[in-house]
Amino acid sequence: MELFEPTREAFRLLFSADAALWTIIWTSLWCSTVAILLIAPPAIGTGYLIAKVAFPGRRALVVLVQALLSFPTVVVGLMIYMFLSRQGPLGFLRLLFTPEAMIIGYMVIAFPVLVVFTLSAVQGADPRIYETARSLGAGRARAALTTLYEVRFGVMAAVFNGFGRVVSEVGCSIMVGGNIAGLTRNIPTAIALETSKGEFTQGIALGFVLIVVAIGINVALAWLQGRGGLD
Amino acid sequence: MSAPLFSLLGLGKSFGERVLFENAQVGFEAGSGYVLTGPNGSGKTTLLRIAAGLEPARGQAGFRVQSSAIAEYPEAWRREIVYVHQQPYLFHTSIEKNLEYGLARRGMPPAERIARAREALEWAGLGDRRTVPPHKLSGGEKQRVALARAKVLNPTLLLLDEPTANLDGDARRQVLELVTALCIENHTVVVASHDPEIIRLAILNRLHVYGGHIKSDD
Repeated sequence: MELFEPTREAFRLLFSADAALWTIIWTSLWCSTVAILLIAPPAIGTGYLIAKVAFPGRRALVVLVQALLSFPTVVVGLMIYMFLSRQGPLGFLRLLFTPEAMIIGYMVIAFPVLVVFTLSAVQGADPRIYETARSLGAGRARAALTTLYEVRFGVMAAVFNGFGRVVSEVGCSIMVGGNIAGLTRNIPTAIALETSKGEFTQGIALGFVLIVVAIGINVALAWLQGRGGLD
Repeated sequence: MSAPLFSLLGLGKSFGERVLFENAQVGFEAGSGYVLTGPNGSGKTTLLRIAAGLEPARGQAGFRVQSSAIAEYPEAWRREIVYVHQQPYLFHTSIEKNLEYGLARRGMPPAERIARAREALEWAGLGDRRTVPPHKLSGGEKQRVALARAKVLNPTLLLLDEPTANLDGDARRQVLELVTALCIENHTVVVASHDPEIIRLAILNRLHVYGGHIKSDD
């Protein structure tokens, strides 16, 4: 297979302001960003509560959430499909094969990632953070926010990892998004489609974008950590 | 003898099988200073933490005219009772912001917060260090920031856990001076300490914590 020519074409395509290509990129970034923004607060809150509040079955819950990390995204897609399909309990919402359905799927996929990373960050936090906040007059909620702020790099890692997981996800996107051009076709589904047709140019260009996003996430996290003054 | 400002009655505290306090009691009078002495593991730190509402225990607590089960420590008391750890935790922000934290929780406007924080930093001899991040401070400086952070709140009851531990030389002397100043300034201060100089301070009443009880040494 010729590699050089499709790669050269891919870069030309990327910088040619190709509307179809940039719509795909936009769909990916938009759906992933909205999903993470919507799911981050409840997921971070859940991670915090599991880490800090003792209750019967906590250990089992942690194991369950950790297990969800490796849950196949296509199965998540299948479950959401069943809920959103016309005969499903949420069929009346008519969300199937829309960006909103993809956002719901991404939220479900990102939830355990954010919970587990936050849980780990909070469990590793110095207990004096919460105690100091409380002793200085902070209520429980404010002390919780202070703790999360102090472990903010762990929480940011949670958010960035959640984003990284959904932006590169294929199974759920195809199941509930339907890979509709101009509407729900995103980077991973477009790569899968174009490659199956033997069209490598667009696939390589989109793959390059995904790599840039992945590197960008890590660079951003490292930069933020540097700004935080951590040695 | 007047009614104590703060008291613990019928205090019971265990860690697993180990009983630390059983039906103990203690009272701190307004405007007085106390030093808790006793061997390691006798419960000095735990007593301070219980008084600060950071450690669950059995028994009743009283503050001013209010009484409450220790397990249901009232939130309002936290605005007046401040605890400083043996190794204080400073938030990952500037020193000045650390001092503003408690003032912000009390709803003080930003301009007043800044003025009060700077004044307290001057008191602690750290006026020129206000923008420095905490990880660049020495152990003694961190302790002084923590004392200033507590002082700026003008607490009714100040609980200090081994403020001079792990310090020597100038750092210890500076912290010792601040602790003495806090005691003289008519705060009700309770210090847990092994430091002979703190124990010998004439302005402090000595309380010995041992065998699950708290007894006056005087």
